[in-house]
Amino acid sequence: MELFHNLLLGLATATEPVNLLYCLFGVLIGTAIGVLPGIGPIPTVALLLPFTFGLAPPTAFIMLAGIFYGAQYGGSTTAILVNVPGETSSVVTCLDGHQMARNGQAGLALAIAAIGSFFAGTVATIVIALLALPLAALALKFTAVEYFSLLVLGLIAAVVLAHGSVAKALAMIVLGLILGIVGIDVSSGAERMTFGFPQLADGLDFVPIAMGLFGLGEIAANLERTSADRQVVTKKVTGLMPSLADLRAAFPAMLRGTAIGSFLGVLPGGGAALPPFTAYALEKKIARDPSRFGKGAIEGVAGPESANNAGAQTSFIPLLTLGIPSNALMALMIGALMMHGIQPGPQIMREQPQLVWGLIASMWVGNLMLLVINLPLIGVWISMLKIPYRLLFPAIVLFCCIGAYGISNSMFNVWLMLGCAALGYFFIKIGVEPAPLLLGLVLGPQLEENFRRAMLIADGDVSVFVRSPISAVILLIVAVLLVAMFSPKIAKKREEALAE
Amino acid sequence: MTSRVDLRDALFGVFLIAVAALVFYATRKLSFGTPADMGPGFMPRVLAGIATAFGAYFAIRGVTTAGEPIDPPQARPLACLLAGVAAFALLGLTAGIVVAAFATVVIAGLGSRETKPLEIALFAIAVAAASALLFVKALSLPMPIGPW
Amino acid sequence: MTVTRREALALACGALAAAAVLTPAAAVAQAFDKPVRIIVPYAPGGTSDTLARIIGPLLQEKIGQPVVVENKPGAAGNIGADAVAKANKDGSTYLLTDVGTVASAPGLFSELTYKPLEDLAPVTMVMFSPYVLAVNPALEVKDVAGLIEYAKANPGKLAIANSGIGGVNHITAVSMAKELGIQWKTVPYKGGAAATQAVVSGESKVIINGATATLPFVTSGQLRGLAITGTERVSAAPDLPTFTEAKLPSADAGSWQGLLGTAGSPPERIQAVNAAVNEILKRPEVVDRIKQQGGRVVGGAADDLKTWLATNTERWGKIIADAGIKGQ
Repeated sequence: MELFHNLLLGLATATEPVNLLYCLFGVLIGTAIGVLPGIGPIPTVALLLPFTFGLAPPTAFIMLAGIFYGAQYGGSTTAILVNVPGETSSVVTCLDGHQMARNGQAGLALAIAAIGSFFAGTVATIVIALLALPLAALALKFTAVEYFSLLVLGLIAAVVLAHGSVAKALAMIVLGLILGIVGIDVSSGAERMTFGFPQLADGLDFVPIAMGLFGLGEIAANLERTSADRQVVTKKVTGLMPSLADLRAAFPAMLRGTAIGSFLGVLPGGGAALPPFTAYALEKKIARDPSRFGKGAIEGVAGPESANNAGAQTSFIPLLTLGIPSNALMALMIGALMMHGIQPGPQIMREQPQLVWGLIASMWVGNLMLLVINLPLIGVWISMLKIPYRLLFPAIVLFCCIGAYGISNSMFNVWLMLGCAALGYFFIKIGVEPAPLLLGLVLGPQLEENFRRAMLIADGDVSVFVRSPISAVILLIVAVLLVAMFSPKIAKKREEALAE
Repeated sequence: MTSRVDLRDALFGVFLIAVAALVFYATRKLSFGTPADMGPGFMPRVLAGIATAFGAYFAIRGVTTAGEPIDPPQARPLACLLAGVAAFALLGLTAGIVVAAFATVVIAGLGSRETKPLEIALFAIAVAAASALLFVKALSLPMPIGPW
Repeated sequence: MTVTRREALALACGALAAAAVLTPAAAVAQAFDKPVRIIVPYAPGGTSDTLARIIGPLLQEKIGQPVVVENKPGAAGNIGADAVAKANKDGSTYLLTDVGTVASAPGLFSELTYKPLEDLAPVTMVMFSPYVLAVNPALEVKDVAGLIEYAKANPGKLAIANSGIGGVNHITAVSMAKELGIQWKTVPYKGGAAATQAVVSGESKVIINGATATLPFVTSGQLRGLAITGTERVSAAPDLPTFTEAKLPSADAGSWQGLLGTAGSPPERIQAVNAAVNEILKRPEVVDRIKQQGGRVVGGAADDLKTWLATNTERWGKIIADAGIKGQ
């Protein structure tokens, strides 16, 4: 009954008029900055932080959290409509979401993204309320050894991302891993491939690379086609709202995505990349006809979007239960707590029940608001597509530039994006897909770091990876996947499935 | 329509080999270590080795099998797009966001054959003004507004 | 940014009007003719950033010019520091940073793009927050003596987490090991939070880290605290002895936050900022805020910071060189 009591307290806090107002405020700001590529939630939260001093702590955090998940929503909109991923998590949405838009189903894609996110948000809220403590305990069992195994699994699963040749997908993952090397090596402090640029010391920023490879590279390729055969979203937009059949197709994917996201979101350091990528890989793996993926499969939007939103929400679990930030934004939240005079840490749930449960309940309320706001907005977003491409694309180029600059207030990232735009164009010309590269880039540094740390602590004893039960199970799954991938029978089936 | 060689694969292979060579060169001074006690040079060289192998595979497969030709690349769209981005990077902090945004939109816009000069200029002015208000004024992006 | 629209408007009306409104600072206001930037060389949300955002608006009142906080993260603080070192020499750009990173940079990086001691002009120390020494509770170690005993019995086995290669807590761990005659395995993590989590989970066994981030885990029992740096015990954990009481070396280790300007700027402006910040640091609400951050206000003359930097640059340079903490 304690849970019931807690949720009630949370709902009572979240539905206070002032909190509702600031929640709305937060999700609106979040959506707006999410839609603009590159302007992420982190600088926005930092910017608004001083304005929250006058507010009661629950109100302040309800608003700041609203910005966070509102931005996740908004990012999907840009990914679907113009194929520009503003954040790590929206890369996957680009894959099928933008294809749906090209097929004239932009409205459907946006609606599914919104509904999937809402569904995932609802479930994740319940998960947080019910399972926060056990999940946090599980997250603590993940040491360098288990992370390494999990990351290996993530990379192997990434092969599924590509709908072309497996060999090319693997090669692109290797390229991504190579790009991930750039920067100061965490384990030794050595500078690697920084070519004397101090800006490279912390590694390559993900967002300019993603915007360059995906957004700008494709614009360059698009411009070579005449408007008649250019495949941007000029087809007649049909079906703003999903039909019952669409929902039936998308629902199982939402369910699976929510489960994946809820779990992976809890792991500190897993970051925003794992949940959507994993959900996409799973959907493609179990689909009866995997060839539809990459061409506008509705599950390819529903699964990752749900996973992303669920993960975004459960990433609050380590913060609320352990006081450990699972990503940069949560670290900022800790700073915010302290500025409000609240000592973050494991005792926070006991000492600040109103804040914690109010925040949890407000996530659900906020998600509902997002749904209510965004479904009618879909029409507005779609009408944006009526802007002629000759005007739309220079504006996208500009927003990408501003976004790249804004990440760390440095023009270096703009130059980096320029290089990646040329590279993205080259990849399109030779017919390889950039998504596996991006996953390699995100996971590579963590893979190496965790492996070397595990070895350092175990004094070079490689058997730690099988002696840890969690790690052993994960590696077993990896082995099964590898066997399945290379066994002739399945390989043949795969080829059949991929034959266009 | 097919050509005698698969240029796509061949180019990808050459690209991979070039990247691997660059990695080998850039990390030549880093210690390799052993698998159990990896030095900072371990991962780069292992990855570069794998990239070389993939590169060789694609390069050989490319020149030995027939494939579809690549659509001929056009200079203008890519050049204008890149020049637009470069204009932003060069002008943003010196001439300010209004000038940089205007230049970026106009230069990138020239990449399309459908662009009309007057229309893009007016559009660029509007977008530049909006950017200054939205990003610099409302979102406090640290960038000067104009060259003054 | 902390300039409210109304303030911005007022300031736009001209420095004269602003100075007239803020009479106590009128003399100072005349010395500044353009907006002042405080560059924080880390991402938003850290101690330096929080501090800058507390001080910024108050400094604005004092000097009568908008004060803008700008985050320039990257390369262990060197990108932001470089930007200040190379800014206009007019006293309009300042760096608020963990000055420990400034003092350790020459030893750690062979190819720095600026000279910390020559290109940056010390303004004032701002805040100190102590380090806490803690262990995973499963470790059979109850106090400092026990830890030293354990480390001596298991040379090279005990894993001590730090927030990154060359970080001040890494240097502290290395220097302590040397002075205590023990060997432990320093394990680098990406940041203090990751390092703390690793010791809570038992992946590493010992940690020396900022009390702000790590002390809550001691009070909750997820970590066993052994000692705290600084001159006095802290109210959050009154049972925790200081390093001095526990006879540990590196008693003054911790996170020292300081303000630096561009070398070659007009001394009267540096002096004016020093005076303004020192006045701000005396305000009760600022003292409280900084206490909430787990630290205490320091303040003082520009020369104090200068001495601190010179001393630690030399001292740490030696430790860094002896231990071979360095890439390449």
